Amino acid sequence: MSFDDIVGTEGLSREEEATLRRVHELLVAAGPPPDLSPDLSLPPVPAEESDPPEVAFLLRRRRGRVAVLALAAALAAFVGGYAFGHSKGKPAAFTSIRMVAMHGAADAPAESHGVINIAEKDSVGNWPMLVEVSGLPEQAKQSSYYELWLTHNGKAVAPCGSFRVHGKTTRVRLSVPYALKNFDGWVVTTQGPDQNGLGPVVLTT
Amino acid sequence: MALSLPRMLPVSTTDGELIQRAAGGDRSAFELLYQRYARPVFGLALRRLGDRGRAEDAVQETFASIWRSAGTYKPDRGPGAPWLYAVARNAIVDRARNRTEIPADIPDEPSHDAGPAEQAEQGWVSWRVHRALEELNEREREVVSLAYWSGLSQSEVAEFLGIPLGTVKTRTRAALARLAEILGDEFE
Repeated sequence: MSFDDIVGTEGLSREEEATLRRVHELLVAAGPPPDLSPDLSLPPVPAEESDPPEVAFLLRRRRGRVAVLALAAALAAFVGGYAFGHSKGKPAAFTSIRMVAMHGAADAPAESHGVINIAEKDSVGNWPMLVEVSGLPEQAKQSSYYELWLTHNGKAVAPCGSFRVHGKTTRVRLSVPYALKNFDGWVVTTQGPDQNGLGPVVLTT
Repeated sequence: MALSLPRMLPVSTTDGELIQRAAGGDRSAFELLYQRYARPVFGLALRRLGDRGRAEDAVQETFASIWRSAGTYKPDRGPGAPWLYAVARNAIVDRARNRTEIPADIPDEPSHDAGPAEQAEQGWVSWRVHRALEELNEREREVVSLAYWSGLSQSEVAEFLGIPLGTVKTRTRAALARLAEILGDEFE
């Protein structure tokens, strides 16, 4: 979209227009800031001051490294590691208050479909979601993924998280802070390094 | 998930001051740095690595490096943002080097992709702009995001937000003016 469409020049001095036009160009060049996954919603936890100057990645989902931390921190870490491992094996219960069905879009495989289970809004205003998709093809490239969006007037406007799929059915937990009543649907798009902007829609409500 | 603002630190605290506080073990300062820079670091990593999982790892490594090496920051050598950018770039480059890829065939024609210098310039611009967006208030950031990246026209943005079109235009201009202030040195 052009500067005239978004900002306009009416009532601006030449100097003001030049300044805003420069910011406009920088915004266009920078592109949208990426949405942070739940894994990045909180900073890594620095170790105690008395500990060596290193950072404990207590929030990381990557496998293996939690075990190293557990070894280093004796009993406390043993308990923490047990709790972590236990929670991984048995995810906390998810109580859905609303279910939204999704079906394959025109270009998607005929058998593809999905369900978005939405839980009660949490204390800080996020809607936890358990998204289950089936029949979507696995990503063609390592850097490709699917993205869930909320739509307004049929347009995907609010990113809700990204995920990859494996096998017939994939379940992922996502969380969004938006006022859901302001939107009218959901879509899933394919995204990848070759795509500039929104990818093709594969699932829709 | 929303972050709670670290207490006791005014939002006007500069990046350099936060780095110095973090060097002294101040976790609130470290958390505020994370709030300001998690998205720019992730954007930079995503641009360089092209893979969300690896980019997430790079974000973690970047902030681990910031925590470890905050004591090496010298405020008399410049503001905090370029120092943070250098730390992030190093962490991301290290991760990119570790990538095991099958060597590609030599292409028949020269690539039209941006070269290393252009990529670095582009990365720095995105870094500064994404960082500046974090400084806007929620209403300004919302209208900028919708206007530039949602695909909605300004009239549709007005309808979506339930406010008059004139208010959208005014708010957009105010947000861009604020960004111009924050990005001051980009205009020199």
